[in-house]
Amino acid sequence: MVLEVTAKTDKGTVVPIGKKEYWELGMDMDGYHRIGAWQIKEVIDLTLPPRKTTKERFVAELPEGTTSADVEVKVTYFPAAKTELVVHEATKKLTFK
Amino acid sequence: MSWIGSLFFALLLIVIPLGAGAEYATVDDLAKAYSEASCKSCHAKVHNDWKSSYHSQSIVHSLGGIRNFIVVGLGQEWKQPVSKAHLMRCMSCHAPMLKDATEDLAKQVAGLIVTAVDDKDEGKKTAAKTELAKLNVNCVVCHNTMVSLEKNLVGAPKPGVYYSPAGKASPAHKTEKSPAMSTAFFCGQCHGIHTPPDGDALVCNTLYGSYQDGYRANGGSETCQDCHMKAGNRGHKFPGAYEVDMVRDGIGLDFQAAAIRLHPGKWIPTVVVNIGLINKAGHRIPDG
Repeated sequence: MVLEVTAKTDKGTVVPIGKKEYWELGMDMDGYHRIGAWQIKEVIDLTLPPRKTTKERFVAELPEGTTSADVEVKVTYFPAAKTELVVHEATKKLTFK
Repeated sequence: MSWIGSLFFALLLIVIPLGAGAEYATVDDLAKAYSEASCKSCHAKVHNDWKSSYHSQSIVHSLGGIRNFIVVGLGQEWKQPVSKAHLMRCMSCHAPMLKDATEDLAKQVAGLIVTAVDDKDEGKKTAAKTELAKLNVNCVVCHNTMVSLEKNLVGAPKPGVYYSPAGKASPAHKTEKSPAMSTAFFCGQCHGIHTPPDGDALVCNTLYGSYQDGYRANGGSETCQDCHMKAGNRGHKFPGAYEVDMVRDGIGLDFQAAAIRLHPGKWIPTVVVNIGLINKAGHRIPDG
């Protein structure tokens, strides 16, 4: 699963604000990352734990002269390598006084 | 031995395979022995739900992984021949009925899996998939084959009996109550670290581990069935990671953003974004 935050300025510039990936990293007995379920013996847990809120904070500077920006958050889930589900998309408009 | 004794012994040899865990030599015979077709006459909605679920596609939806186990795992890494015992590492969950297949049929199924993925001929691929689609996790598998969580202590499921949480009597078949079917542990037989018949543990699926150690350990009290069957009348569709509404139900989003200006004098426009991803599911996300 991927969390992406971008900002689109009033001048049309798209600025990447931050990105985080959450996944189960399968390892074999020798410490190699493996894909086949039948190869995996250990899991490095980089996921969202149940009954918890995982907090992320991003701070990013925008180009000088920006007077407003649309900040977009997108959460995409990948149940399989070629399958993509957009779980959340939200936008907030920010104005710089 | 008298001639009567010899005759009795000969008859016994003919009868035993039919009465004690018959072995099937063709996909059709095996599928027929485990057929869910007669279930739909009384349980049409449940059958339709199941038909649209991934349980009904438990081999054909996982062809790539099973093919890799056969070709890469057995063939290249372990250098082992394809055998029923090895194939049951996958099939004891993906098609548990294969336990009643002959050795030759098990090898034939392995061949079909490789054909369905690797063959250059699209017609052969489609034909293999059609054949493999007859084997899956169906009514008989969950309501009989997999129902006994303590078969070494209380015995294996009885042939011809359909087990259910309520155990409601039916004129169509024998029914018995199975409290085990309402537990997460029942699902955890396959949706967790799995021990196939050969006894080696497989980390093919980790959901049940995070359910116990992450969700229950932190005060969660619902079961797999509560969210994936009862909530929203999801029934036997068992929606999961491939259904966007299900994933959306499981992950909440808290999105806060502020506009500030940094560096006194320069006053660079800057955004501060705070995100909370709330895992409301009974297991880690993502999980498999």
